[in-house]
Amino acid sequence: MDDTPDAPELSLFLASTAHDMKNSISVLSGTLERLLVDASPQTESAYPQMAHMLYQTKRLNDNLMQLLALYKQVGTPAYPFDVQPLELGQLVDQVVALERVLLKSRGLKLELDYDPDLVWHFDEDLITGVLSHAINNAIHYTCDTVRLAIRVTDDNWLELRVEDNGPGYPPSLLKAGAIATRDTAKGMNFLTNSAGLGLYFSSEVARMHQHRERRGTLRLENGGRFGGGCFILNLP
Amino acid sequence: MNAPASLKAVGEIDWADKNYLVVDDFVGVRQLLREALRSLGAKNIDQASSGGEAMGLLTRIRYDVVLCDYNLGDGKNGQQVLEEARVRNLVNPSTVWLMVSAEKSVESVMGAAEHQPDAYLIKPITEGVLLTRLNRVWHKKQIFRLIDQAYAEKDYLRAARLCDAAIEGHKAHEIDLLRMKAKLMEKSGEPVKAREVYERVLEQREYQWARAGIAKIRMANGEFEQARQSFQSVIAENRYYIDAYDQLALTYQNLGKLDEACAILERAAKLSPNSVPRQRNLGNVALKVGNVQLAEQAFRKCILIGEYSVMKTPDAYLGLARVCGQKNDAKEALRLLLQVQREFAADYPDIALRSKITEGLVYHESGDYRRARKAGDELEALLNATEDRPDIPTCLELATLLFAVGVKDAPVELLCYVIRNNHDNPLLLDEVQKIFDKARLGDEGLEFIRVSKKEATDLMNQGVLLWKTGKLMDAVEWMRQARKKVPNNQRILFNAAQILVSHLQQHGYDGALSAEAYEVLHHVDRLLPGQQRFAQLMEQLAQLQPVLESGTIAEVA
Repeated sequence: MDDTPDAPELSLFLASTAHDMKNSISVLSGTLERLLVDASPQTESAYPQMAHMLYQTKRLNDNLMQLLALYKQVGTPAYPFDVQPLELGQLVDQVVALERVLLKSRGLKLELDYDPDLVWHFDEDLITGVLSHAINNAIHYTCDTVRLAIRVTDDNWLELRVEDNGPGYPPSLLKAGAIATRDTAKGMNFLTNSAGLGLYFSSEVARMHQHRERRGTLRLENGGRFGGGCFILNLP
Repeated sequence: MNAPASLKAVGEIDWADKNYLVVDDFVGVRQLLREALRSLGAKNIDQASSGGEAMGLLTRIRYDVVLCDYNLGDGKNGQQVLEEARVRNLVNPSTVWLMVSAEKSVESVMGAAEHQPDAYLIKPITEGVLLTRLNRVWHKKQIFRLIDQAYAEKDYLRAARLCDAAIEGHKAHEIDLLRMKAKLMEKSGEPVKAREVYERVLEQREYQWARAGIAKIRMANGEFEQARQSFQSVIAENRYYIDAYDQLALTYQNLGKLDEACAILERAAKLSPNSVPRQRNLGNVALKVGNVQLAEQAFRKCILIGEYSVMKTPDAYLGLARVCGQKNDAKEALRLLLQVQREFAADYPDIALRSKITEGLVYHESGDYRRARKAGDELEALLNATEDRPDIPTCLELATLLFAVGVKDAPVELLCYVIRNNHDNPLLLDEVQKIFDKARLGDEGLEFIRVSKKEATDLMNQGVLLWKTGKLMDAVEWMRQARKKVPNNQRILFNAAQILVSHLQQHGYDGALSAEAYEVLHHVDRLLPGQQRFAQLMEQLAQLQPVLESGTIAEVA
């Protein structure tokens, strides 16, 4: 955006609006989490609606974050991309901290399978965002369990899987996933599919991660440990 | 669901008894963060709604944790609050500083600022996220505690050894520790070792800061062309790695390509416009290449953003006065020079002299030779009134101006002072000779340089002779006198410190001599940082201290 001197007012306006919206979302999700922590379905008749509100708030935030990042041209050298080494324990702590209240309020179980001491190099904010977005999605589709499994594959990729025990992704989404993750995704009309933006964003994030001629990838499958949807991110 | 590791860790860190400061201009967010902190057990939570209010609280209270929003409306932003708090020592090294922002920002990418917070948090911030980050930063601070302390004491070699030791036990922080070690080796005047560390990092992963680190070493070695290519490839990989732009500009300056340097600084200032030093550099380079309009723009921006910043210096005002002079607006230039003397009198003892020099230049460049000469006479009077001399660049600028307006003795005396204090710096001596040549005093200049060099060498050699023949106390006293005559000669200063250290080693610890040695070493480090001898002598001196309690040495510093 720095190369479009003709639109400084617009970018200033967008930045200050985003700043304002983020503040409101902070207050919304923080307050909802607090209310949910202090309540239970027994003491609070509106408990399920509150849980649903928290889910929607998170969706709102994810979309806003993705729009802002895409506006900043995520995937091009213009985005402030920042790779750092991090223990998986730290990454998972962060994701769990983001999802804990929502999972609990929905009565869902999050299974974790990872080596907390393993160190990998990635942009923490982006990967946390992608995983949390995938888990939010899984929360929507699963019956009662979501699984986050991270391992190093035989050919030395970091494989991050978000699986659920729901009915699996519908064919349209699998197709959208296949399109979004192709190299030619730039031309895709993701606005026609509500899941498209998240997929497009996630695959761009994957692709930004590069190490010695390898680039990260994203794919959607049905199957995995529970036979439901699998969101699979591979990082070099 | 498994309990996350960080929640288990709450027990070992007592977040309840700490002092907290929450800074955000949005009242809802402040309340939210206060609630989140209260649920960790926190009792002492202060709040501020602006940078100014935060500064007021930081002046009075020592906080353990600061949660600060980056955007704070009018006045200081979060980064400026952090910078000022660090520069004015209003926060402890152990203070956890978390910077909060609405989106992933350029500021969060390495190299954008000198004073980095301990972590950046992106909104929305909920309790769980806050706690995991607090715990993480706290653990990291524990690992770096002794290293940071040695760093603050400028005992860089000890700090580097502590890095090596920490890498063994903390694989997860290996990259951060290596980065610190490389910086320490650079500060110790050991570029070869620093380079080895950067290469070790690059074996693991292509980190642009490690690439930039190697390029910086190349520049210091005089391999300007290779350095230029490296910085350019770093920028190609990460357009937001701002530090690489500043370094690339410096490389171009070293290559004598001022136009290119100016263009790069202009790009960097567009990407990250709120850096006071960058706007100042841009203004200075633009002035040198004669782009008066760009220089004016940069200096004005520098003054504007500097208004709330602790990084504010008089340079932009003096530069802008030169710009006004070149635009034939001597009146505006004089107004600026009055303003700069009012604003900076307290912290810059040289300011009257420096603004008078600028005044002389303004008149001289605008062709008012009568007033320029008058300024020259006043400068001569100022110089005669005191023994103190300004820094070397100011001396050279002053001598040039004085010659130009027809003053003779004062600039010769000034240049002899520069030579005595830099007798083994051939590049600088060349520059001095050129000033003599330009003043049509080439032959006299050669002789002045020869005599002044000899004075400094004799002073130093006599001290070293006393030391080598075992007359240590005489040597110490001789070097004291030498330092009085030639206060800024690095070789003399290093030898003085060396002789003091020898005295301490042979005759036992003496508080006064030790303090004197530290004073000498810190003085030489201010003149030219990053010297091998500095690091070595600091280490020897630290080993001679009878008690190594935390803070004892830092006080001397």
